[in-house]
Amino acid sequence: MAAASGRTLPDEGRWTPYLFIGPVAAYLLLFQFLPLVQELLLSFTSTSLLNPKGGTWVGMENYRDLVAGEDFRQSLVVTAAYTVACVVLAIGLGLAAALLLDTPFRGRGVARALVTIPWAAPPVAVALVFAWIFNAQYGVFNFVLRSFGFASGTENWLDSAHLALPAVLIATIWQIFPFAAVVILAALQGVSSELKEAATIDGAGRLSVFGAVTWPTIQPSVALLTLFLTIWSIRRFDLIWLMTQGGPIGATNTLVIELYRQGFVYRDLGRAAAVGMIGVVVALLITLVYFYVTLRAERAGDSR
Amino acid sequence: MTGASHGAGHLLRLAAVLGVLLAAAFPLYWMFVTSLTTSASLFAVPPRALPDPSQLGVYAEAFQTIPVARWLRNSLIVAAGTTVLSLALAVFPAYAMSRFRFRGRGAMGLGLFATQMLPEAMLVVPLYAIFADVGLLNSLGGLILANTAFTVPVITWILKGAIDGVPLDIEEAARMDGATRVGIVLSVVLPLVAPSLAATSVIAFFHGWNEYVLAQTLISQEGLRTASVGLASFVGELSTPVHSVMAIGVLYTLPAIAFYLMVQRYVVAGMTAGSVKG
Amino acid sequence: MASIKLAGVTRAFGPKRAVDNISLDVKDGEFLVLLGPSGCGKSTLLRMLAGLETLTDGEIHLNGSRVDLLPPSARDMAFVFQSYALYPHMTVRRNITFPLIMRHHRWWFHIPLIGHLAKRRIERQPDVAELVDRTARILALTPMMHQLPKTLSGGQRQRVALGRAMVRKPEVFLMDEPLSNLDAKLRTAMRAEIIKLHQQVGGTFVYVTHDQIEAMTMGTRIALMRDGVVQQLGTPRDIYADPVNTYVARFIGTPPMNLLTAELDGRGGVVAGGAVLGLPGPLASLQSADKAVVLGVRPAALAIRPAGEPGTLAGEVTLVEHIGAESLITMKLASTRTLHSEDGSAADEVIATSPGYSELSAGLQVGVAVDTTDAVLFHPGTGERLW
Repeated sequence: MAAASGRTLPDEGRWTPYLFIGPVAAYLLLFQFLPLVQELLLSFTSTSLLNPKGGTWVGMENYRDLVAGEDFRQSLVVTAAYTVACVVLAIGLGLAAALLLDTPFRGRGVARALVTIPWAAPPVAVALVFAWIFNAQYGVFNFVLRSFGFASGTENWLDSAHLALPAVLIATIWQIFPFAAVVILAALQGVSSELKEAATIDGAGRLSVFGAVTWPTIQPSVALLTLFLTIWSIRRFDLIWLMTQGGPIGATNTLVIELYRQGFVYRDLGRAAAVGMIGVVVALLITLVYFYVTLRAERAGDSR
Repeated sequence: MTGASHGAGHLLRLAAVLGVLLAAAFPLYWMFVTSLTTSASLFAVPPRALPDPSQLGVYAEAFQTIPVARWLRNSLIVAAGTTVLSLALAVFPAYAMSRFRFRGRGAMGLGLFATQMLPEAMLVVPLYAIFADVGLLNSLGGLILANTAFTVPVITWILKGAIDGVPLDIEEAARMDGATRVGIVLSVVLPLVAPSLAATSVIAFFHGWNEYVLAQTLISQEGLRTASVGLASFVGELSTPVHSVMAIGVLYTLPAIAFYLMVQRYVVAGMTAGSVKG
Repeated sequence: MASIKLAGVTRAFGPKRAVDNISLDVKDGEFLVLLGPSGCGKSTLLRMLAGLETLTDGEIHLNGSRVDLLPPSARDMAFVFQSYALYPHMTVRRNITFPLIMRHHRWWFHIPLIGHLAKRRIERQPDVAELVDRTARILALTPMMHQLPKTLSGGQRQRVALGRAMVRKPEVFLMDEPLSNLDAKLRTAMRAEIIKLHQQVGGTFVYVTHDQIEAMTMGTRIALMRDGVVQQLGTPRDIYADPVNTYVARFIGTPPMNLLTAELDGRGGVVAGGAVLGLPGPLASLQSADKAVVLGVRPAALAIRPAGEPGTLAGEVTLVEHIGAESLITMKLASTRTLHSEDGSAADEVIATSPGYSELSAGLQVGVAVDTTDAVLFHPGTGERLW
């Protein structure tokens, strides 16, 4: 039998692939790469939103100021806390929901569809309704807490430096855990039932079956899911901005919120750009770490 | 294991499923209930748990006093435009990434992956500057162009994954039968990746429908506001009653959810085939 | 009228030559089978003929004009794939009509609705519809013209693939292991259908298979390939009776030919395992005494005798397999080496066929009588045939 074929057909010019990717390459250069370069240049200038063309070159000053400033360091901490909490909770809840929905019961198809609805809700609407739910006096959240006898049932969630981040996290997790559940559920379909049965016959308990059979199968999907949830959490803007504007006193001020505040509240485009570039570097580092870890895991798997 | 304990476990599991469903549905249900609550009982303790059908007038009122219809129309245009443009742009590069081995393929793949990490909020300033220079501010077309830049990478990625699964034999058969490369893509490959086309359409549509930062920044003209920006304008604003705001929220959310439920089967299949298996 | 000429056709994947400098002629109306094990380059060669693979070197001529630089659709050849490669989203009728639609294809057929209507109009043109219907009748596909491929059985899918090739009325049919996805019984039936198709439709067939029974039954000529090189090109009978080397001898025929090491005795015979065997006319004239040779004999030329009978080779029965009409008897020879190394196991074992149900059993000491009437001799070093 033939070896794998050379993919390009003999009568085609070698330019066909470039004709196919050309339009998108040009599009992305124009609408992603060019703005990114501009952003990079902007980060070395002092530019006001009121006069975007009148910037002056200041070198690393924006970066130095940021690193020296309290706000920026706080926003790094908030971003890290928010991201880690998002990823861990979304995957934990998603895994639980997926395992729950993987076992057969009547109406499972409907349940699977319904559980993913939050993912389809527009973030602006989600922010609005959660702001109402977390309302100090009239919010249903506090009402429920009071009904269960918690003294904290009068807390002003979104205006409290301690509670604003948890409140934003609850809204975020509500919106993203269905995605995690769907992905893990799909990965669970790849788990061999024969292998599970074999493990059970070999005397493995439920937890051991999960560890020995289920987890190794879904692990690559969970790894990729982790990467995506991490990047999305770093990127998330509308939900947080509309619930708290990054406040109170910076409690929910993630990098992207800080960027927007620098640019559109303090009208300092140069410093906003510097925040953005740092965010990009962070995202790139995370991606590199992800690929490094998965590649190493794959190699370890091969040599086994 | 006795039958009784098995039954109890089953009940426990059903209760857990019910709990998850309740948690998933509650905030949206609450938005709906609030929209149908009288001004007087909005601030009642305990809050009203059921919608009050006599309050349906709130919706009619919202349409009269607030340009909701126009906002929704604008959102629909942006979402539909983003969908069409994204797919039109993504199909051929996805095919090329899947089937051809060419210089620059690695760089293109990296570019497609890396652009998925750029936050809209970050590029909003330079995009604003570029759009101002070429006169694309305050135009729904401009907004579609900007949105598409953020959907095309992920859509190309998902479609590439789907095309990887089309047997090469079928393309070669079409080749023997006299189809051109473009013909193969359009009349043989695309029908075979229809589920992923559906999934990516939904992803693009939702992006256009939900998007907020770009719409907020690139559009300042009242008549061109999208529903996301319109709805966001009520945040922190106190003169509009809460039930009216929630009514607009329902009007904005309902089409998205309905559309999602119609196509969710495809979305789930397509998302998992392309983006995650990657 | 379709003759094919291959001149120095080569295909390299990196340093490896999948097809190495092959030159051969296929005559008009011939059924040429490219036979060989996996990875011998036979499929690559066929795909180069079709235009699905580029040539690293060499030329392909169809009816005297060079075609290896033409796109596949311009070569007037149809290709039947191992996987059938039917279009899953099209009905049987549309699958068969597809090549005809492509003949009339215009760029605007890609416009969704208009293109759809245009394609349907072509499908309904009297000449097109009539040709498709006739083809479907020949292949017994008429009742399922509106079904999708996934609702068909393997044999039906195979016939749709043939139909799609036939409607083009090509000069050349190229087939890449078209029967290997069918179960054994269906394979035999489809084999007969393809032979009939060749007789009815005419045209030149080039057929790739790894199955020597298919090759022997279907081909008017066989090109037996190994490592990108044609070992022997000839009629099934030639290849069976006069293999050019030990590889061909072992590849063709089940069970394969037995190869025994022996020495010429210089008096018109060979010595193998102490027994002197006479050689038939042309071989007897090979002189030079004490020269080492390899003696090739088909299993039917071995006969089992009582142990110790003069003129026989001593051996022990190791396995007896009954396959109905005959029995296969595997024996380990006591003092005669064999050249069956490529099988890995089975060293110094020979196989004999004996008609009917053999009562022999493993462990029995026997003598093996060798009928050298149709025997062939090979050079022990090169494996080439001695003549």
